[in-house]
Amino acid sequence: MRADDAGAAMNARDDGLRRVSRLTWRIGAAGVVCSALIAAAFGHGAASSQVAARTGTTQHGQGTILIPAQPPAAAAGAGQVNSGAS
Amino acid sequence: MTAANAATAQDTFRVFGTTATLLVTEADALPAARRLADAEFAAVDLACSRFRADSELAALNAANGATVRISELFAELLGEALRAARLTDGAVDPTCGRALAELGYDRDFALVQARSAAAPAATPAASPAGPAPAVPEPADPAPASPAPGWRSVRLETGPLRASLAGGAQLDLGATAKARAADRCADAIARQLGCGVLVSLGGDIAVAGPAPAGGWRIRVTDDHAAGPDAAGQTVAITSGGLATSSTTVRAWARDGRRMHHIVDPATGEPARSCWRTVSVAAGTCTDANAASTAAIVRGAAAVAWLQRLSLPARLVRHDGSVEITAGWPHGPGHAPASPAPALGK
Repeated sequence: MRADDAGAAMNARDDGLRRVSRLTWRIGAAGVVCSALIAAAFGHGAASSQVAARTGTTQHGQGTILIPAQPPAAAAGAGQVNSGAS
Repeated sequence: MTAANAATAQDTFRVFGTTATLLVTEADALPAARRLADAEFAAVDLACSRFRADSELAALNAANGATVRISELFAELLGEALRAARLTDGAVDPTCGRALAELGYDRDFALVQARSAAAPAATPAASPAGPAPAVPEPADPAPASPAPGWRSVRLETGPLRASLAGGAQLDLGATAKARAADRCADAIARQLGCGVLVSLGGDIAVAGPAPAGGWRIRVTDDHAAGPDAAGQTVAITSGGLATSSTTVRAWARDGRRMHHIVDPATGEPARSCWRTVSVAAGTCTDANAASTAAIVRGAAAVAWLQRLSLPARLVRHDGSVEITAGWPHGPGHAPASPAPALGK
């Protein structure tokens, strides 16, 4: 292979690598922008979920008031404690 | 500390301006349970007391809309308050702080009562043990402003921060107390391995194994009334039970009777057809949100509670009772019937 041919091949390779690099960078940037848009769109809900996850708040039941496993049962006599306003 | 019965031991003390009661199924665990409770309640008080200048809530209320960094505990309590607001369609709203202050509840309740005692007589409060007055709520309210609304609260993560828009002022009183009971019960059951009941001014959370027959609770108007107060005794084995009432935390202001359950839509004490509502739920926090919302919703609360399958006991000002969703029948109880969604 002549020196001119080798140089042209190397230039072509370098040009291709630059193109791949630019494309990769643009895809990455687009990903960052999309992530930001999604975060902005759903930020409030995401924040609540993250707070719940970080602080140990129960995740189930976020969308409804939790019903008891069993309703209260009738009991006789005085209570061990009162439930009333304070 | 006393033995409540053969199976449980009990400790009663003051916290958050009300009575706390701790019941555990193993007497040996009681001192350690009390230490856990003290630590939990102190942390919650420092996070969200409206009457402590050093609380995180006071700092956020004083920030004039600026964003403030907050602790994980405060973020949790604020998150629970916002969740309660969302699940009750705003009937329970954490931005009623300014309304409460303008109604006169601007300091520890004992001081509010002391000031009220020196003021002209107001419409008397309903007696917990007897019939209530025919006109239980203020008849001629002065103009008031609606609460700014829970959507004016911004809660951010990474780092944890919060801000208030539109001049909102927070009061987490209802949900934070109940959440403190849940947190305390969970911590004691998890760390000590016993069954536990935590009552904070009548907001009750239970965790761990319940005693035989369940935890017996007297549902009445005033949590501080005696064990034989008018009401009904029920038993629960898990979750929470909370009672909201307009009869107890009440005071006089300019000759009018006030109470602490504010209707966010008006900024005034809620004018409810119910004097007391008790709800059982999966947690004390949820029970408290539902019982408070039921007072605010008024007659429409019966259908709302039925739709959510929440067992509840609702007491009118004349003492008549309605029950919903599996709440056990008691003396004088009427079967639940959908009520018209009209006046409160």
